Amino acid sequence: MENSKMPDSRREFLVRLLEGTATATVLMVFGPGVMAHGPETGGTERADDADHKYAYIIDVGKCIGCGNCVRACKRENSVPTDYFRTWVERYVVREEGVYVDSPKGAIEGFEQLNKRFRDNIKLSRTVPKMCNHCHNPPCVQVCPVGATFKSPEGFVLVDRDYCMACGYCVQACPYAARFINPVEHKSDKCTWCYHRVKKGLLPACVTVCPQKARLFGDLNDIDSEVSKLFEADQWMVLKPEMHTDPTCFYIGLPREVV
Amino acid sequence: MSLPGPKAHIVRLVAVLVGALFAFLVIKEVVTPSSWNYKDWYRGDALALNSSYEAAYGGNQSCVTCHEEVNQELAEFRHQALSCESCHGALADHVKEGEKIGDAVVDDASSWQCLNCHDAQVSKPANFPQFDKEKIEEHQEIEPDMICTACHTPHDPTP
Repeated sequence: MENSKMPDSRREFLVRLLEGTATATVLMVFGPGVMAHGPETGGTERADDADHKYAYIIDVGKCIGCGNCVRACKRENSVPTDYFRTWVERYVVREEGVYVDSPKGAIEGFEQLNKRFRDNIKLSRTVPKMCNHCHNPPCVQVCPVGATFKSPEGFVLVDRDYCMACGYCVQACPYAARFINPVEHKSDKCTWCYHRVKKGLLPACVTVCPQKARLFGDLNDIDSEVSKLFEADQWMVLKPEMHTDPTCFYIGLPREVV
Repeated sequence: MSLPGPKAHIVRLVAVLVGALFAFLVIKEVVTPSSWNYKDWYRGDALALNSSYEAAYGGNQSCVTCHEEVNQELAEFRHQALSCESCHGALADHVKEGEKIGDAVVDDASSWQCLNCHDAQVSKPANFPQFDKEKIEEHQEIEPDMICTACHTPHDPTP
């Protein structure tokens, strides 16, 4: 007699288990946590910040490879020796191939190439590199603790208090823009000088560039320099095939640059 | 002594699951930062942390507040478009809380800051004024300690 009831209660049990799982899932997703601090309380100045659409433009044709930007970045952000948030690469295109160098991130600029090597150069350019502040940042996707994120204004930032320096983001970045800071043991990268932009200043590298090869501004402001250059539609991004959708644009970028 | 009912194991299982769920929710509530942004998945306080750092470079407008006279003469000079701090160093090394803490003079014992930009190189744009190092070395053969600023004014380096 009891055996005949068993299938019923097993079915009931499974149904109840299913219901319980569904309820638990709903609770976890829309639970008390969300009620207490929803997205509206998360960002402090969300409404204002969404009005800006910041962009960084690098004019490769103007860069002289002096390294002022690298030095300013070091000083501004206390970047440890031998680590770089921004650096300059020299591309030399010759018949037999492409040579790239960046001695000490070009912090002291470049030495002239020796005479024999200098002949038969097809093209040579110095190309500043940095975090591309992608719309679709791979570093943010891989962070297991939510310590790297896209701010409401479009800056890709690191939460130094929560970063545990696992290095996933360092590996995920296709532009090699990240490193683990050996002093603080946290992930470190270019912030577009978020602390300066918030104070109404330009990023340090943009401030000191003697050639105005580096520009920073708001694409929503139609009179800004970056808007005009962006509208001219001659820009290029690094590694478009990665679909990271960078907000750092290059003008006059040679085909050889990766 | 009564035997456990036929549903006792289910009751126990449910009790354990409810207990685990409760523990999970409590721990999640305690561990999640109060400013957590569930939409974009970051700690809201991290924005304040990131903007809390002091700016070291003030830009030319900060220099002009004290050095208005230089600004006046610079307006006609060839190096007028440059940032003061490119050569003179960061504002934070010169002024702190309105007090001068260090000199912002350029290293005038060598020409490295001039050559840093103007050293001739194949990678530089052709219209940028560049000087061949070999020619400078010829200069220095005549006068070994000769530096650029012996003849050129750094603010207005007419050739």
